[in-house]
Amino acid sequence: MSNIIEVKNLVKQYKEITAVDNLTFDVKKGEVLGLLGPNGSGKTTAINCILSLLNFNEGSIKIFGKEMNHDSYDLKKDIGVVFQEVSVFDELTVYDNIDYFCGLYISDKNQRKKYVEDAISLVGLNDFKKFYPKKLSGGLLRRLNIACGIAHKPKLIFLDEPTVAVDPQSRNNILDGIKHLRDNGATIVYTTHYMEEVELLCDRIIILDKGKILATGTTDKLKSLANIEEKITIEINELDINYLEKIKEFKNVDDAAYNGNSLVITYKKGKNNLLEIMEYMKKENIKYSKIFSERPTLNDVFLELTGKELRD
Amino acid sequence: MIVFKTFLKVLRKNLPIVILYTTILLVFGISNMSTSENNMNFVASKPNIYIVNNDKSDGITKNLIDYISNNTNVINIENNEEKINDALFYRDVNYVIYIPKNYNNDFMAGKNPEIKIKSLNDYGANLTEMLLERYIQVAGIYRKSIIDENELILKINDTLKNDVKVNITSKLDTNSLDKASYYYSFASYSILACLILVICLILSSFNEEKIRKRTIISSTNYKKHNRILLLANFCYAFILWSLYVIVSFILVGKIMFSSYGLLYMLNSFIFTICATTIALLVGSLITNKGAINGIVNVIALGSSFLCGAFVPMELLPDSILKIAHILPTYYFIKTNEILKTLEIVEFNSLKPIFLNMLIIICFSIIFIILSNIVSKKKRKIA
Ligand SMILES: Nc1ncnc2c1ncn2[C@@H]1O[C@H](COP(=O)(O)OP(=O)(O)O)[C@@H](O)[C@H]1O
Ligand SMILES: [Mg+2]
Repeated sequence: MSNIIEVKNLVKQYKEITAVDNLTFDVKKGEVLGLLGPNGSGKTTAINCILSLLNFNEGSIKIFGKEMNHDSYDLKKDIGVVFQEVSVFDELTVYDNIDYFCGLYISDKNQRKKYVEDAISLVGLNDFKKFYPKKLSGGLLRRLNIACGIAHKPKLIFLDEPTVAVDPQSRNNILDGIKHLRDNGATIVYTTHYMEEVELLCDRIIILDKGKILATGTTDKLKSLANIEEKITIEINELDINYLEKIKEFKNVDDAAYNGNSLVITYKKGKNNLLEIMEYMKKENIKYSKIFSERPTLNDVFLELTGKELRD
Repeated sequence: MIVFKTFLKVLRKNLPIVILYTTILLVFGISNMSTSENNMNFVASKPNIYIVNNDKSDGITKNLIDYISNNTNVINIENNEEKINDALFYRDVNYVIYIPKNYNNDFMAGKNPEIKIKSLNDYGANLTEMLLERYIQVAGIYRKSIIDENELILKINDTLKNDVKVNITSKLDTNSLDKASYYYSFASYSILACLILVICLILSSFNEEKIRKRTIISSTNYKKHNRILLLANFCYAFILWSLYVIVSFILVGKIMFSSYGLLYMLNSFIFTICATTIALLVGSLITNKGAINGIVNVIALGSSFLCGAFVPMELLPDSILKIAHILPTYYFIKTNEILKTLEIVEFNSLKPIFLNMLIIICFSIIFIILSNIVSKKKRKIA
């Protein structure tokens, strides 16, 4: 597989802050790469540098194997960007907005007409073609924003937090749209601070914090970094402190904590942990309302790596 | 093409305010024009001069002085260099003529004695200079063939009399000229205001950072994109200018179909180009749509007031006119004022007009360069 993007030692400093700190990574053809990091970790800045929208202090950027700079129009024609903030004309309708931004890439009228219609169906805005942005809800606006960025059918797509603050229906629609783009062979760089989306969509993930890469790899590989194997949560109304101490002594248990009305037990290894604890509860006659086991999430990975939660 | 089309769509979305603005200003200008009084233009058009005569003889000298005096106002002041300089300084006289000793005899002897002058270099002075040069030219031609002094004088007077006749018949009625000048001077405000309003409204949409980002990352050449926007803006400016010209043909058609009309049109055309460049510069700097109305008022109203679009220049204090020199509107209105009192349309009398136009063009070039610098900076977002 060839590299679509090669970023080497990218450094971007604002006056005092180093927003991107010596970033090096590749994006391979056809993959969906997730850039996961909390707000302010430098995701948007990194994308803006890659796109030559920002001057950066150090580093080099190649796209499709060629040096990227502000007049690389031959590279730009195959790139689509969906910015974090909705970037459309208030004075134009949904259709005209998509038509305009598509028109910056495609001058053939008939071809453009088809492309615009395709983009509208992809994001499901067929009923809103004649609407002005002011009349659209937040979720629909985000969909319009996406359509404007991808209508020209680019081979490489950047999506910067496309699902921030949208209703579940729009969110599902957006995620389906992205899957559709991926299935049609586009290479995608997807930034978010929602780990569920990353797990759902991305082939490979880069975890960013304070402009630095903390870890790279597939979801499974990253989860192995979490240093836990399993997490069992039990909802119990009242728990004697002695039981808690006993549970902590179990062979595979890493830690156990009880707060409010849920008991969380983390395991380092082991196979039949759930069975073991259920039998123990039965034996001691402890009443519980709910019990479930989880594999570690990327949040646990982030917690392990930085000591803080991914989401605030 | 899509940029042009979108320009029109954005314009269409702003159409109500654009039409409102344009018509209100146009109507305002027209109604103002009809109330502008027919002032004493004729007197104003006669330059004030002073003649220092060091040759006491009759003949050519006296005839020259008579000729000049008939076409000007000879001012009464003390014959004293200091007083003369004061009079020039306070603009009480436009032109001073020094006739040297023995002028008559030297001239008749075939020499060309030098007549010294002092001049304000304004319209009145130019007119006097023209009279003087014309006399010397005509006298010089007949002197070669006519030796008798009295006969020569008769011949000269005869020729110059016809000259004046031509002048009088070609002179348009000053009332209409006044109106035309007033109309066009007021248009400086309307045109500037409309252009800044519309161009800023549209450019602020295209230049908004979120839109600009999409433009920069697209495969459309950024410079080309800006050039198309520029062209679209100039097209709008041209349409607006045409509107004002058409209305002027309706109002003062008699003037507009003469050579004066051509000059009014040329002058306002050049000013419209300059106003467009001002609007483009402001538009490239503006980031907040809410500020546009304020900016229109400050720039258009401010400069038009300072430069005499509402009040004739003669009535403005000198200090204000001095400040006005740094504004292109000043040179536009100055030309309209010159046209108002211009009696002969010929190269010499048009020189100051062309100079004013040149100055306005220079202003335009500066504004274009500045807005280019700004738009280059905007290729990056931080
Ligand atoms: N224009 C700017 N000027 C100064 N600092 C900025 C600017 N843009 C972003 N930053 C800072 O750079 C860091 C990274 O921001 P950003 O790339 O927007 O993060 P993310 O997209 O991951 O939320 C933040 O600390 C932010 O405050
Ligand atoms: Mg961001």
